[in-house]
Amino acid sequence: MNNKYRLKKWQELPPGGVITEGGNAADYETGTWRTWRPVWQEKNCIHCLTCWVFCPEGAFLLTDGKTPSGKNRKEIREIDYFYCKGCGLCVRECPVNKKGNKEAIQFVREET
Amino acid sequence: MAEAMRQINPDVVAAFPITPSTQIIEDFAKFVADGKVDTELITVESEHSAMSACLGASAAGGRVMTATSSNGLALMWEMLYIAASMRQPVLMTVVNRAISAPINIHCDHGDSMGARDAGWIQFYAENNQQAYDNMIMAPVIAENMEVRLPVMVCMDGFIISHSIETMQIEDDQKVRDFIGEHTALNSLLYTENPVTWGALDLHDYYIEHRRGQQEAMYKAKSVVEEVSKRFDEEFGRRYDLFESYRLDGADRVVVAINSVAGEIKEVVDELREQGEKVGLLKIRLFRPFPYAEIAQALKGCRIVTVMDRSTSMGAYGPLFSEISNAIYDAEARPLVYNRTYGLGGREMLLDDIKDVFKESKEYLNNGKVEKMFDFLNVRGG
Repeated sequence: MNNKYRLKKWQELPPGGVITEGGNAADYETGTWRTWRPVWQEKNCIHCLTCWVFCPEGAFLLTDGKTPSGKNRKEIREIDYFYCKGCGLCVRECPVNKKGNKEAIQFVREET
Repeated sequence: MAEAMRQINPDVVAAFPITPSTQIIEDFAKFVADGKVDTELITVESEHSAMSACLGASAAGGRVMTATSSNGLALMWEMLYIAASMRQPVLMTVVNRAISAPINIHCDHGDSMGARDAGWIQFYAENNQQAYDNMIMAPVIAENMEVRLPVMVCMDGFIISHSIETMQIEDDQKVRDFIGEHTALNSLLYTENPVTWGALDLHDYYIEHRRGQQEAMYKAKSVVEEVSKRFDEEFGRRYDLFESYRLDGADRVVVAINSVAGEIKEVVDELREQGEKVGLLKIRLFRPFPYAEIAQALKGCRIVTVMDRSTSMGAYGPLFSEISNAIYDAEARPLVYNRTYGLGGREMLLDDIKDVFKESKEYLNNGKVEKMFDFLNVRGG
């Protein structure tokens, strides 16, 4: 859980449900919406970042890494399930998945 | 009402004509054409659009007004709720008219009573003077920072809207000083501080927003009292949350709304002269409903006849429900019953009102109410 995320009391809300500050989607947990969970398979990942580009919630977290030839690059670190709503776009767009012989992102039923 | 609108000089008026409220916008359109107001008049293609335009203009930070009746109000339904929940202080005259079908242009309160749960503050008025006065107070109440709710000022179609009465129109400058400047809250046009209106609000926040809206309604009651007091100091006409007419020592009380109150007063005076202890409680503020104050005012009376000029099919009239709620906890609870009258403009004459009092006398003498609910003046009984 994100510590920043705290549900406000009615007294703290501006009238009319207006949102007065930018970027506060970061406070909003969309992870509870999930019925299917994308599971990242590090061993199959080529770090092309296609999933990071497509993810509508910004749920793919990156880290600094290096290419096999030693150049600096960003790599996938993990999926933030606080935001991941289980839309499956990453699973569909992953080029490793598309090739069909292995999966870099598996899609598994959320355990209830 | 057009005069009140001229004096208020709103930034935007968006309206669609419907009898009997048409005349208001017609007259106001002339003020716009003659340059007597600074208002942007939007002639929209329906009432749904009228209220939508009002809502947008209000969120943009303007003072906004409109007027409608009957089916026009019904067509605004969706936007009525949204205006209230988005806490936009839109001001609207509702000239009460029966809702179709069958189509009818005359007065009853079915239109505004149907909208009673939409979250609008609702004022009712016995005559043109009171409607005008309510409208002058409306922006001050609606735009109060603790309230920020839309206000509906209701008056009876034709009976009041199309009758000629002597009344006092106050001085333009005095009215404008009384109302003051409109202050926008989180205006859409304030690009320095952009805001989002109408965002999705699910199970985790919707009820908190509604709770806040209810609080604004609670606050509105005391704001109405304050503003009415200030109005009295400024213009010399006193208004309470409701009018108590000869309630002192009254055994039998009629509770009613709008123009019929004038006739009831007439009958009350006559019966009082004959020594009968009768009185009238006339509703002014219907939302928020002043339960405790009304219970206090009805303390000591022994029988209450609640007269509804609208029906809630399959239930008691809307006013009856509120009154019986209000007096439920009273120590010596009076008898109470409900009469529906005047639907679609059916006349209610002085003799009819005398019959109402005659019946309440009978019920009181017998110590019980024979018919809780009935229609008055309907062929076939």
